[in-house]
Amino acid sequence: MAKTPRMSPQTLVVLERFIEQPRVWRYGYDLSRETGLKSGTLYPILMRLARFHLLETKWVSTTDGVPPRHTYRLTPSGAELARSQSATRSVARIRRVALSGGKA
Amino acid sequence: MSSGSFARRLATFLLTRAISFAPADTIEWGNAVLGELYQVEGDWSALFWAIGGASMLLKHALVASVFPGRNHPFSSSSNLFRKGGTVRKTVTYATTACIIASLLFLLAPVFRVAVHVSLAQWYPLWHVNPFDRLEPAPQLEALKRQAIQKRDGEAFAFVAVHTPDKSESVQLAEEAVRLNPGLTWVYGVVAVRWSFFPQVERWTSALQTFDPENALPHLIAAERIDIEQEHRKTSRNARDESAEWKNAMAAAFQSPKLETYSKQLEDLNRTVLLRYQINDPFLISTDQLYWRVPSYTASDSSRYSELLLGDGKSREDQGDRSSAFEHYSTVVRFAQTLGENGGFPMAKRLRDAFQRLGSLSEKEGNRQQAELYSILAETADSARKEQTLALRSGLHAEVSRWNALLARASGIALLLSATVVLLCVVSLVVRHRSLRIATLQPSGMTLAFSFAGGVTALFSSILLYISYRPYQEIAQRFIHTGDNTGLADLSRFLFYTQTPLGAVKYHSVERFSFYFWCVVAGLCALILMLSILRFLLRPNARAANRLAG
Repeated sequence: MAKTPRMSPQTLVVLERFIEQPRVWRYGYDLSRETGLKSGTLYPILMRLARFHLLETKWVSTTDGVPPRHTYRLTPSGAELARSQSATRSVARIRRVALSGGKA
Repeated sequence: MSSGSFARRLATFLLTRAISFAPADTIEWGNAVLGELYQVEGDWSALFWAIGGASMLLKHALVASVFPGRNHPFSSSSNLFRKGGTVRKTVTYATTACIIASLLFLLAPVFRVAVHVSLAQWYPLWHVNPFDRLEPAPQLEALKRQAIQKRDGEAFAFVAVHTPDKSESVQLAEEAVRLNPGLTWVYGVVAVRWSFFPQVERWTSALQTFDPENALPHLIAAERIDIEQEHRKTSRNARDESAEWKNAMAAAFQSPKLETYSKQLEDLNRTVLLRYQINDPFLISTDQLYWRVPSYTASDSSRYSELLLGDGKSREDQGDRSSAFEHYSTVVRFAQTLGENGGFPMAKRLRDAFQRLGSLSEKEGNRQQAELYSILAETADSARKEQTLALRSGLHAEVSRWNALLARASGIALLLSATVVLLCVVSLVVRHRSLRIATLQPSGMTLAFSFAGGVTALFSSILLYISYRPYQEIAQRFIHTGDNTGLADLSRFLFYTQTPLGAVKYHSVERFSFYFWCVVAGLCALILMLSILRFLLRPNARAANRLAG
């Protein structure tokens, strides 16, 4: 089995954002606003996911005078991992709700 | 300029600078953060965005510098030491030149002795009891072997005087005197140094026969009696002293001279050092710091003087002025014979004796003599005060202390830099698995460390040479011409060099030694932890590479 990066709560939040629209290219700033993560937290996560080939990246050129932007999208293995993690989290959430008597 | 545009410009500057320090594999990510910076709404938000990105890049740069195998430490474009670059070549040549220049210093015998002197501070750190031996003397053992082979009495005496081993010292002194009875004075030097040992009573008798006018054997005898009394925990009041002690002190006070054999010792040192071609400054001048007289002399003399002054007063009260005068004069004479060896207690007794003599002269109606004694009492008192002030200020020791500090600091710097250079060379050879210089291509980090090590080695070699050179001249002048000018400075310098750098006083060496080894153990633990961490982190990188493959 291929190694996977450490799944911190922040990594799971990022993966959840990606899995909502797996085929769509996302910008770092947009992800930061959606997840509430600062650049210093978000980019190490993106780097780690990319290093494990769970994320693909590309540069997008912009209008004159503004540097190109880096965009990200889940790879098939990334999407698979994100879905499995999402499912695991859902099961855990259901179990937690059940154990707490439906108060969660 | 508005504060908003300033914040954004600052943000751009921060990120751009961070990217220039970033490891090669994170530059793309740095540019990604920079690209998004232009999309961030609000200038202050942009600044915080840049700070987050910059801290991320700097953290990676730091990790890459500690674990170079994990990431490339610096981007190739910004690498100051990039392969084939002019700066790299210049630095390599400069490093090599510094190392060669430092090694050339070792060709100078003066420098080799200076290194030996600078290493003396480590002695207390390697020994459980740093007071076992104050002076390192690696050549003494070899000299002892040669003395046995040649049956050289003077060499035996030399080793007896300098060896840190008490029983060996006593044994060799006896051997020296057996071979050459003219060296009997060595008994005096060795007895003063070690104070108490079984042979001391026999030695005292031998010294009295050898030099009947000398007060020293009597003072040694008095010290022996003192130590025996201390062992028995008997009274230390002068009036209750044993008859044996009183006889010994009376004989000392009646002796016309006090010979400490310093001249004979200097001649012996010179003769043996020249004969056996020894160039160890610790063997030239250690005697300068030893007591010339037994350590109890000042106290014994003061107590006996007190006894004499008291007896003299009683005689004076009884009307026996002649006897009182004789008692007071004896104290004056012996205090002057002792000189500085009597210390402060005897200086005080000298003043008291002059005052009593003045009072006695006044009673006899000799006003002129009374005034003379009064002036002498004042002179003795002011001399004592001057001595106290000189001791407190310690000005005469300042230069030697600073030079010793310089020698110790440069010695440590030399040792550390040599270690760094050696580690760099070893790591280079291990990495390339070759000893051919042409194939050895140091990394930027290795080159930087080697350069720092080489420059420090050269600089500390120069400092060590400069700080020790004057003392080498003093030592050589003494050996070859017998001129002992500056020998006391050399002794002070050598004394200070034996105190580890950081230990304020020699008394705190034991505590310093404990803290030193704690720090060493802590550093070792840190290095071990970093090595384990490095080892554990490597498989992740390999896994990532496999995934990439």
